[in-house]
Amino acid sequence: MQSAGKITLASDAPGHSLFLLGNEAIARGAIEAGVQVFAAYPGTPSSEISETLINLSRELNIYAEWSVNEKVAFELAYGACISGVRSMTAMKMVGLNVAHDSFTSAAYMGTAAGMLLVNADDPGIWSSQNEQDNRLIAEQAYVPILEPSSVQEAKDMAAHAFELSEQFGQIFMLRSVTRISHARGDVKLGIINRDRKGGEFKKEPRFSCLPVQARKNHLVMNERFSKIKEFVEKLPYNLMKPVQGARLGIIAAGISYSYATEALRWLGLEERVPILKIGTPHPLPEKMVRQLISSVPEVLVIEELEPFVENHVKIIAQEAGIQVKIRGKDLVPITNELSTRLVAEAIGRASGAALPINYAAIDKTVADTASILPARPPTLCAGCPHRASFYAINVATRKVKKELGEKVLTGDIGCYTLGYNPPLNSFNLMCCMGGGFGLANGVARGQSGPVIGHLGDSTFFHSGITPMIDAVFNNTRVTFVILDNSATAMTGFQPHPGTPGNNLAAIKPEDLARACNVKFVEVVNPFDVPATVAVLEKALRFNGPSLIVMRGLCEILAQRDRRARGEKIKSIHIDREACNDCKLCLNSLGCPALVLEGDRVVIDSSQCSGCGVCSFVCPSGAIVGEGG
Amino acid sequence: MAASVKELNIILAGVGGQGVVLMSEILGNAAVRDGFKVRGSEVLGMAQRGGSVFSNIRLGTEVEAPLTSDGKCDILVALEPSEALRNIQYLNPTSTVIFNTRKVIPATVSMGKSVYPEIGQIEERLQAVAGRVIALDAQDLAEKAGSRQSANVVMLGALFGCGKVPLKKDTVQECILERVPAKAAEVNLKAFELGRQVCDGR
Repeated sequence: MQSAGKITLASDAPGHSLFLLGNEAIARGAIEAGVQVFAAYPGTPSSEISETLINLSRELNIYAEWSVNEKVAFELAYGACISGVRSMTAMKMVGLNVAHDSFTSAAYMGTAAGMLLVNADDPGIWSSQNEQDNRLIAEQAYVPILEPSSVQEAKDMAAHAFELSEQFGQIFMLRSVTRISHARGDVKLGIINRDRKGGEFKKEPRFSCLPVQARKNHLVMNERFSKIKEFVEKLPYNLMKPVQGARLGIIAAGISYSYATEALRWLGLEERVPILKIGTPHPLPEKMVRQLISSVPEVLVIEELEPFVENHVKIIAQEAGIQVKIRGKDLVPITNELSTRLVAEAIGRASGAALPINYAAIDKTVADTASILPARPPTLCAGCPHRASFYAINVATRKVKKELGEKVLTGDIGCYTLGYNPPLNSFNLMCCMGGGFGLANGVARGQSGPVIGHLGDSTFFHSGITPMIDAVFNNTRVTFVILDNSATAMTGFQPHPGTPGNNLAAIKPEDLARACNVKFVEVVNPFDVPATVAVLEKALRFNGPSLIVMRGLCEILAQRDRRARGEKIKSIHIDREACNDCKLCLNSLGCPALVLEGDRVVIDSSQCSGCGVCSFVCPSGAIVGEGG
Repeated sequence: MAASVKELNIILAGVGGQGVVLMSEILGNAAVRDGFKVRGSEVLGMAQRGGSVFSNIRLGTEVEAPLTSDGKCDILVALEPSEALRNIQYLNPTSTVIFNTRKVIPATVSMGKSVYPEIGQIEERLQAVAGRVIALDAQDLAEKAGSRQSANVVMLGALFGCGKVPLKKDTVQECILERVPAKAAEVNLKAFELGRQVCDGR
């Protein structure tokens, strides 16, 4: 009866429904379209698209790779596309900043086969460093955007995008957001295109962006975009529900449409307010927009982040001479993600309709509850090598403070951002991938104290190599630390050039550093705290760039290894007689395995990994291992 | 059955590593197999490192958005007591709350930066807002079933036992079995049953 369990993302089961994550649905769409080449670098909330395609690549005969960074991934996908095969790349929004250079010029050149760029924005900054709206980046590149309102539509759009891309000779962008990528829903599957054709690179002048050619490309790109503008009026993703004689109209883009339809239902306005669903915010279906805004005296534009659609609607109204009051970001927040509540409140204010729920009472309950809720920020795992590294950095910089001055620590993007909170206070400055090294170079030129820049192994390959070379080239006195846990841990353990696999030799960061003429290169085991501190002191006194690889396996991977080998954890305990309750261990490390029982620190054996870093911290020698 | 349900919102809460996401996948799969329109979303990313985890599953003909709105939760299932309280804005006088009484103490509490409330205080606050509050020691029941890893399945059983979930028991159990190792099948079915019995008739 239940055959459903056997149907997977790779199954031919048109019409069958599966419960899918938005990112899985996007991957399924690409599979249905017969994508042949895929490349990506992980980044929340986009990573599961790549994981799905890479895991199924052999079964489906797709070339799919984890690339070193987003620019490299984009270029690989684009190169395949102009060689005549359907290709795709996926990245989080800040990843497109890295790929922006190739992206914009590629859009000038156009395509030779369908190419889809999946861009996942992160409104609300769940796991990012800003909440940029990449519709603006697509706009400056004349790249059309498909913006889904549901998981089903994300699949449908991804499947359709390759055909559209081929029809117009342009790269298409699928703009996902966290509440599409990390949403789940029932998705009706389509037919899988299993044709795999050999590509052919046809040499054409447009593929060389020399000034004389780029000027021509610019004109052609504009013509392409005009054709797309006409065509989007016919796409099913833009949908009008008219109501005669209404006082207020709604325009809702992407995921906001789902909030808007629910909100209208709650407010009892379903049959009284016309709504235009926007699935192509760039270019907008101008005729549909004109039709709606000329039928009502007031219109409310609902979208997450920037007033992108709103501003274009204002331009359309002005050009067509339509008298209509256009509202949007005066009622809908410009920051954070939206919700049915926020949208209902905005529609309530615009329409005068009463809200069905007493939100003031809810807000009061939340405020009253906040005072008794314990804070639970995400933390470095018990046994994480980064905790040991940060502790050693704190000890070493304290030791040299009189001699060298106050330290400045620059950080980067990865699990190690979790060291920011007390007691580790692991960085003073952090902004982007590779910035842990690049910013350190600048801080070292701006002030005189010791500067330590850190980043992870995957991040080093992504964008840490060039600032390291810059420090050598310009002889900058700075200490670089590579927190090498042999994993891209934060996003789910994707492989990178430093992790062995595929029968290929791993590239060691220390080899690269030496080859780049860094004169001080050391590799240490951060769990050996005294040795790590000693190396750090030497590095900080070195007159020039120094680099330390602090290498300790990610504890999550170490746990898996131990389990596979049937190995037990080294047990560590606190000698009650020797302990004088100073709590230095707790207050220097913030390890989740160190907990209070009454007023005394105890080691929670269910969490402890046996790393033993706390035993180096204890001034009384009270933290001891088995038999000790 | 599926056509008669307009909107049912289930929120699952806990701490990274407790299996909240797996629970929502099991529930969502079961709902799709039983023919429901399903929407849901979760908080992933940084939260997996010991932070708070939230997931919600919405089913019915009138659900569109991936997130349950404030005051619209029908059943809140929390694998950890303070995480039930953290989601109090979703509750209303008809909501049912089922929470596991086993605390997971955050490092901020050990370091004296914040205080963990008493279980009684948590229950009282929840009772002031929700219609029905059920507290159970899922860890204890999981151990009785044969594995402390199965506390999340105990809670799924409790959710099913509260009588508000219009899914077929067979479907839910089948979806559980698909996601656990074959050798743990019996333990998990027992865990589900022990959880169900706690809520049955309460």
